[in-house]
Amino acid sequence: MSALPTGFTKLEPFVRDWAFATEKKRSEKRWSSTKEDFQVFYDAMLECLTSAFEEIDKYEIGKMPEQIKILYYLVLAFAEASPHVELYKGDSKVPYSFDAERFVASHGDISD
Amino acid sequence: MTVDNIKKNAMKYTSAYPEIGTGKLGVEPIISPALFELERERLFKKVWLKVGRLEEVPNVGDYKVKKIDVAHTSIILIRGKDGGINAFHNICPHRGNKIISETGNETFGHARANVLSCRFHGWVFDTDGPVRSIPREEAFSSLDKKCLGLRSVHCDVWEGFIFINLDENPTQSLSEYLGGLGDHFSGYPYGDSTCSYRYSTVLNCNWKVALYAFTEGYHVSTIHAATFPSLATLQHTDFKLFGPHSTSTLYVPPAEGIVTTPATAAFGSVLQQSERHRPHLDQLPKGINPDRREDFQFEFPSVFPNFLLHLGAGAGYPGMTYFTHQFWPIAWNKTLWEGTNYFRPPTKPSERAAMAHVNALHRNAWLEDTGTMEDTHEALTSGVLKELVLMDEELMIRNTDYHWRRYIGV
Ligand code: FES
Ligand SMILES: [Fe+2]
Repeated sequence: MSALPTGFTKLEPFVRDWAFATEKKRSEKRWSSTKEDFQVFYDAMLECLTSAFEEIDKYEIGKMPEQIKILYYLVLAFAEASPHVELYKGDSKVPYSFDAERFVASHGDISD
Repeated sequence: MTVDNIKKNAMKYTSAYPEIGTGKLGVEPIISPALFELERERLFKKVWLKVGRLEEVPNVGDYKVKKIDVAHTSIILIRGKDGGINAFHNICPHRGNKIISETGNETFGHARANVLSCRFHGWVFDTDGPVRSIPREEAFSSLDKKCLGLRSVHCDVWEGFIFINLDENPTQSLSEYLGGLGDHFSGYPYGDSTCSYRYSTVLNCNWKVALYAFTEGYHVSTIHAATFPSLATLQHTDFKLFGPHSTSTLYVPPAEGIVTTPATAAFGSVLQQSERHRPHLDQLPKGINPDRREDFQFEFPSVFPNFLLHLGAGAGYPGMTYFTHQFWPIAWNKTLWEGTNYFRPPTKPSERAAMAHVNALHRNAWLEDTGTMEDTHEALTSGVLKELVLMDEELMIRNTDYHWRRYIGV
């Protein structure tokens, strides 16, 4: 059985590397990604973003079944990864910036 | 045009406030450990300091403990039985243990049955201060229990922001202290924005290096060229000074704001098309963006001495109602910075994801901002520069420095 809801099997190859429940895990993935990693993930997600919104919005926050949650995590990963393609030319860090690992997310993990 | 006129035009905002002058910014206040000791006593222990939001302690008995390194203390902010906020030093009047064990700069918890008890010898206190019970009380030779309550701290609330004043006899009430700035920002429903993304870090720099870097818009087109390329047309205007506080407005014509790429547009429109999260210029206090310009980004003030409250009402950064910065000195060369982005709660998963995107962009911009601070501080400690020059739109820095000098007496 697919980890993802019907219609989103094209995203299957990204589940293992990008679908994380926490901002910390997603950040660690971003910081270790290459330009190519960002680009293939970006292209795949952008193509189905509108339908992904529709799919996850069939459920309430906090009440998403497992497959929907995985799709939602991919959308969150895209939310944070897309600037690296659109604005940072594939750089895994924000160019000319402070060490992101020194920023503490004091809100904890907002996963859903 | 005379040279004087040209100069006047170049400093059109600054020249409206002749009392604060057009001089240079001294470097000494940034690099002097001796002046930092004066700041502790004459500034941070005298003025009103923002320490929290009501939404952080929503229910009776909820508390937040906030470490205030600069005053060598921690403050318990607790929702009392009457629903108001009480503030106490986190110290037990018996032998001085902390009443609440802290887990970091901010510690949250709940007082059961409206009491706080010290785990050292078990003294129990009401959440409004008085000592309620003392184990083996008869073994003390004489006790004046009236004097053995929790040590209270002056505390007041403005628009849901909790402030304290560490002075035993503050010379001004909170509303007198905030003055016209308080009125300027009053009336926005801040309390609706219960969803926050909070970041903090310890910066190896003087607190004013960090504060000043966030108190001007001059750096936006350079420092934020990567994250916000479209902000190059930024207009920073409508400067107003209210005693030690000040404010100004950011507009970015044309009205596309930060939404310029496919992902920012997709996420941005989720929020901009939602009735709850769309720009609500109508909810802005009357004096802010009075013409209701659509290219309004946010109101950009400095609340003396260490608090910045930016009110966007969903206009500038999609969905973001307001965001704040605060700068807490730890030592003359060490600062705790806190940045928080506020949104109204999401009603569906796509809104939550869109907020995560807007938050990520803003967090990234903050990484760009904080990226200069330690370099600036380190270079200034060389002592090579004695003074720094300020341009017109760095007026809020100039005003902070002017009032800083009055408090410190230099
Ligand atoms: S120090 Fe608190 S009860 Fe003794
Ligand atoms: Fe900035």
